Amino acid sequence: MMSDFHTLHILNKTPDHPRFSECLGMSSSDDALLLTENGVLALTTSRVLGDRTVYALKSDLTARAIDTHQSNVGAIDYQGMVELSLKAKRVICW
Amino acid sequence: METLIVIDQAPYGSFAGREALDMAFSLAAFDQPASLLFTGAGVHWLRKGQAPDSIHQKSVEKNLSAAPIFGIEQLLVDSASCERFGLTVDDLPDGITLIDGNADMIGRYQNVLFAG
Amino acid sequence: MSNTTEHSFSLVITGAPYSSQAPQTALAFAEAVIAAGHRIDRVFLYGDGVHLASALIAPPSDEMNLPKLWSEFLAEHNIPAVACIASALRRGLVNEQEQKRYELSASNLLPAFEIAGLGEWVESTIKSTKTLYFHAGD
Repeated sequence: MMSDFHTLHILNKTPDHPRFSECLGMSSSDDALLLTENGVLALTTSRVLGDRTVYALKSDLTARAIDTHQSNVGAIDYQGMVELSLKAKRVICW
Repeated sequence: METLIVIDQAPYGSFAGREALDMAFSLAAFDQPASLLFTGAGVHWLRKGQAPDSIHQKSVEKNLSAAPIFGIEQLLVDSASCERFGLTVDDLPDGITLIDGNADMIGRYQNVLFAG
Repeated sequence: MSNTTEHSFSLVITGAPYSSQAPQTALAFAEAVIAAGHRIDRVFLYGDGVHLASALIAPPSDEMNLPKLWSEFLAEHNIPAVACIASALRRGLVNEQEQKRYELSASNLLPAFEIAGLGEWVESTIKSTKTLYFHAGD
């Protein structure tokens, strides 16, 4: 599940927020993306997250009734968020 | 360990950019290399002739002109964002470097952050 | 995942309580950091994040009291927490010292927090293994 990557992008904005596009524009397919807070809403749109490794915070998914069963998204808890942060060489919080 | 601080909000309507500038100045004051990247609506920081007396605010254009004195490494601006908001190279103040804001570009910095 | 190496984090909160989810997300993350056996070097409140340190926040009793929860967490784990002085003064958050200096009618900084400059933030980012920012969403 947790493959090697250089940068962990933590994204807490809805897809309509300008910073959402900035994050996608300034990340590469070698990076990992962690959706938190309203960021998890991206999973309900047809928006292409590319072939990035995507994770989402379980508690934020549950709170908003977002289902990840049909996708390749890794639902993780805060413990997983800590592990991902340490695994990354660099963390960018958008 | 160079830091890139990204400003993606227009000045005056929000304080976030000003607080980003304070962060950059603080890093520089402690001998930590810092650069600024203006992207998205943040490029409006670079307009010439700002006169915010009209809204009783201090000019960010002036703040920014002090950046080299404070030891800021580089002032960068995303070219696609400039194009989007109708800014050409001639419109930009001296000392600004046009770049393509992409993964390779920000990959050079150990820390990339926003002030808010 | 190996926990044999202890790592340290600095957390910067820029989103205000009750107008963003930032302080909640940061607290849950901070609890997980401690649970994993790592350390938090410092919590730094910046911009609107300084409101978290206000002693005058009184949410309805059936809602979480974020300043109180954060204060308890910081005290229990002996974690230094700093509200940026420039952000704090602009937003009406002062300790007794600043109250006297500016001749204000009251002070409202919770005891778990101190007021200091951005130098504390710079020091944290150098010291910690990772620094995470908790901004307002939308």
